[in-house]
Amino acid sequence: MIDGVLRTGANEWEIPMGYVPGMRVPGRFFLSESLGRILEPGAVQQLANVATLPGIIHHALGMPDIHWGYGFPIGGVAAFSIEEGIISPGGVGFDINCGVRLFTTPLVHKDIAGRRDLIDDLFSTVPTGVGAKGSLKVSPKALDGMMVKGARWAVEAGYGMPGDLARCEDSGFMKEADTRAVSAKAKQRGGPQGGTLGSGNHFLEMQVVNEIFDPVAAKAFGLSIGQVCCMIHCGSRGLGHQVCTDHLKVLEQATRKYHITLPDRQLACAPITSPEGKEYFGAMAASANYAWANRQLIMDAARKVLAKTYSIDYGDMPLVYDVAHNVAKFEEHSLDGRRETVCVHRKGATRAFGPGTSVLPPDLISTGQPVIIPGSMGTSSYILRGTHTAMEKTFGSTCHGAGRIMSRSQAKKKLIGKDIAAGLLKEGIIVRAPNENAIADEAPGVYKPSDEVVNVVHEVGISRLVARLSPVGVIKG
Amino acid sequence: MSYEEIPHTADVKIRVRSATLEALFSDAFAALMEVLYGPDRKGGHRHVITISSDDTESLLRDFLSEVLFVSEVDGLVFARAEIRIDGLNLTAHMDGEPFDRQRHSSGTEVKGISYSGLAITHDANGYMLDILFDV
Repeated sequence: MIDGVLRTGANEWEIPMGYVPGMRVPGRFFLSESLGRILEPGAVQQLANVATLPGIIHHALGMPDIHWGYGFPIGGVAAFSIEEGIISPGGVGFDINCGVRLFTTPLVHKDIAGRRDLIDDLFSTVPTGVGAKGSLKVSPKALDGMMVKGARWAVEAGYGMPGDLARCEDSGFMKEADTRAVSAKAKQRGGPQGGTLGSGNHFLEMQVVNEIFDPVAAKAFGLSIGQVCCMIHCGSRGLGHQVCTDHLKVLEQATRKYHITLPDRQLACAPITSPEGKEYFGAMAASANYAWANRQLIMDAARKVLAKTYSIDYGDMPLVYDVAHNVAKFEEHSLDGRRETVCVHRKGATRAFGPGTSVLPPDLISTGQPVIIPGSMGTSSYILRGTHTAMEKTFGSTCHGAGRIMSRSQAKKKLIGKDIAAGLLKEGIIVRAPNENAIADEAPGVYKPSDEVVNVVHEVGISRLVARLSPVGVIKG
Repeated sequence: MSYEEIPHTADVKIRVRSATLEALFSDAFAALMEVLYGPDRKGGHRHVITISSDDTESLLRDFLSEVLFVSEVDGLVFARAEIRIDGLNLTAHMDGEPFDRQRHSSGTEVKGISYSGLAITHDANGYMLDILFDV
């Protein structure tokens, strides 16, 4: 482990006060010893930097997929007091509400095994990669609808089923959205990109449930062995990117105005109660809503392809859940025995609310919230459930993915996209991408083993394993 | 052209070394275009950007953020830029072509230009900067 970091449990580590000047609370992260060997000093430094922010409560937290990002580390979580705390785009990221959803189908593995035509059809239906525009014409009124109502806008416009909404975190929208705080430039970018996947680590993947760890929770989530599912990973596209860019500049000035000292300019922030902080929060919430609407549009397109290809009913493809990875939210948590509303930032982390949490829909209240952890192209994805331990230790949060271990430049030098695709095909996984670099960039070997990351969250108890899914067909952005 | 990609696990980190501040900005611009669209980029369409900022690092970050915006909404892929910097004011005359899916799809989207670790240094050998693109 990196010098200066203290072990406090089997998979728990502490960054003590003083690791960087100005820390207000210690840092705490969850990692196995072997994952600790590949932890970057930059990620620890970034987590310690978060601990210097005004109003931070208890700890700056790192999930087991912690790695070096910008501002917060990826896998970073922090809660802030409403009165004394700050809001920072560096704790959310450029891709606001980048997130993931999973829906089930009545199909089984043999229905989709080797079906390149299905993967080709999905690839041509869902626009992907750099420069992609949506086939949907989003009017200014519709764009406002996406930003205000989120997934509900899409369902009301005919792109989904009412039951989808209860299976989205916060019903697929944040009520605090303020479209006036979203610049004309951001709206200009968001209009043409509705229903597009984007690039980088975004994907649409056909998967098969091949292991159930928790039959009770799996049943509640609608998952069974051998069942084909579809996972979608994307965010708020250019609209969210522009909102972050615009407000980062405003908050840089606000940082000076409110005399906040920062170790990293990307942590630019303002008090939650300040006009600048409120405007960023309103614009961020509008972007988060756009992202929920966007994932709803992509799910609708994929459902229609599957319904047509297999003559199955659209209604037989229910949404298991949709989670946000990059977002700040007002949430009620127990602090030293009393309930208090705090502002939780999750940057590359997933909400993992435990059983009994009042915001969960009635059919999920006894199991806890479904948590979706995507693997990489060739490795398993996992469904977990939120826990009481997460509520106690991490403000109801867990990891969001495997976490990279190899840079994109190394990946391009060492790996050849078509070799990766050929190797995956031998394992029965069909890959389509706009170019070979996109495959090399996201090859299985550039990520930590997803099994090891989810084992840590399971052992620590901040979420518990429910099911494992294997990839069969992948569309890379 | 004098930039190199240096290892960063999650994103793209670029180190640029140039003789003048203008060349430093122009090389960072070229690096951004290459990450987005790959090496095959031609001229023919002109576009001018003017930016003012509070400090030199912000000027670069604001300039590249504006390039991202223009490139996306106008569907333009730029081959080169002539840059003039006067204090904290910048004018960029950019030369590019319309996005062509066949030739410009080898790159990856850049979500934003980060302030993290952004520092421009100057010594007897010229200017240097490290900059992080979120991809």
